[in-house]
Amino acid sequence: MFNLKKYRKKSPWILHYNAGSCNGCDIEILASLAPKYDLERFGVVNTGNPKQSDIFLVTGPVTLRSRERLVELYMQMPEPKVVVAVGSCSCTGGVFRDMYNVEDGVDRYIPVDVYIPGCAVSPELIIDGLVQGLEILEQKTKEMEKPLKLFKESTCEEGIVNRRDTALKVGKIDEKN
Amino acid sequence: MSKKTINIPLGSQHISLLEPVRFKFECENEKIITVDSDVGFVHRGIERACTTKFKFDAIGYVVARVCGLCAITHSLSYTAAIEKLLGGEITAKSKYLRILLLELDRIHSHMLCLSHTCENAGFEAMFMRIMGDRELVMEIQELLTGNRIQFDYISIGGVNRDISSEISKKIIANLYEVKQRALGYMDEFTNNWSLSLKFKGIGALSLDDAYMLNAIGPLARASGLNIDVRNEIEYLPFDEVGFKMQTHRDGDINARNLVRLNEIINSIEMCNNILEGLPEGAIFTKLKGKPKGEAVIRFEAPRGELMYYVKGNGTAMLERVRIKTPTFSCIPAFSHIFVGENYADAPAILASFDPCLSCTAK
Repeated sequence: MFNLKKYRKKSPWILHYNAGSCNGCDIEILASLAPKYDLERFGVVNTGNPKQSDIFLVTGPVTLRSRERLVELYMQMPEPKVVVAVGSCSCTGGVFRDMYNVEDGVDRYIPVDVYIPGCAVSPELIIDGLVQGLEILEQKTKEMEKPLKLFKESTCEEGIVNRRDTALKVGKIDEKN
Repeated sequence: MSKKTINIPLGSQHISLLEPVRFKFECENEKIITVDSDVGFVHRGIERACTTKFKFDAIGYVVARVCGLCAITHSLSYTAAIEKLLGGEITAKSKYLRILLLELDRIHSHMLCLSHTCENAGFEAMFMRIMGDRELVMEIQELLTGNRIQFDYISIGGVNRDISSEISKKIIANLYEVKQRALGYMDEFTNNWSLSLKFKGIGALSLDDAYMLNAIGPLARASGLNIDVRNEIEYLPFDEVGFKMQTHRDGDINARNLVRLNEIINSIEMCNNILEGLPEGAIFTKLKGKPKGEAVIRFEAPRGELMYYVKGNGTAMLERVRIKTPTFSCIPAFSHIFVGENYADAPAILASFDPCLSCTAK
């Protein structure tokens, strides 16, 4: 039987989106996929399809027009997913900070797992960040497999049952008690 | 045959695109009838920030972030404009070093475009080969300037790093290697049968159309139009280092590829000439004063003519910085070429223009 969990770690597929960067980081991502740095030895394939990808590489400070598309792409990716912010400007805004059409950094809109600094990022750092992202991906996969347990009673207000905040992952309940 | 048309969008996020741009193709069966393009996704507001946020001596490094591929041309154009306003003369050695880096940047940008065109045509192996050989150029850029992409090499009054004899030896050795590879690609692009199916006679632009639609850069030179800013300006001594105009007649994707390959070989010759006869002297002269007045500077970026207009009023803050980028001027020609082609060829045609949208939107 085809075992998805096993192969996800061996072959993470990446989705790349340019949210207003200067192209510098984008061509470094291409260069790290090319023979000298060869990101493909980790099984990485560059896809254009958010529904098949595990790692989301975002470059650039988020411009006003690209933020909807950024969130949309993030929402379309299946769990577990890892977001990697590539470049100084996607981490903090960089030189573009406080320009009128720019939101400073990706983490204003989507949660970021790995930050890679540098203007422009060197391919070594991209490989380093992606390998770290792989570990996080594995952790997230394990986290998803843990069963949920109800730790308090659901409340009932005006005839509507509210189960909000009643479920926690098994490990977290032990911490709580 | 029905007359019904279908709308197919390409972008803003697509596997064949490095940057967000949206094309709306209206297709009748396989043929594209009309094209609508939207290029403003990466607008950041750099022109405004240049007049409000940064002082004039820092802007050279800010405008380099307009585009990562032609970063050196942007900072060079801005610096040349400021030097014109301040009225100083820079040393001969720094002029030659500027041309050296400009041509190295052109080589790596053209190689990226060639590999990307091959990838979008479906020839993945050629993409890998050219990207692998491109690392030879990136290596010497890193040696010369300290960084692979955003160099920050040019400052007002000269350049920031000197060149040593070991570095120039390494540059000559690597460029010799690149030249052999480029001649190999030339053979591949002219004689490979499966590449010819994807490239020859596809996306053609005639000479008249190129003239009428104001095409510039390799796009115009592939159609036979003799325009190259390197031929027309006098700030940098391009004619001394052996610049030759490269043109082709066909105007299709294949012609654009061959023009780019010929330019790579010409640029390598220019780099070798510079390194052979590099004059001795300082690399930096201190220029005093604040910019006052107006200056217009043009340079040849890898994609065509780049124009800077700078207006200063005698204070540290500038009054206006206007950037006119090559891709912006070429958009009418792009839209014209798409009409009448098959939709399946659209990504390869788009890559052969070598569009730079972060330049266009600034």
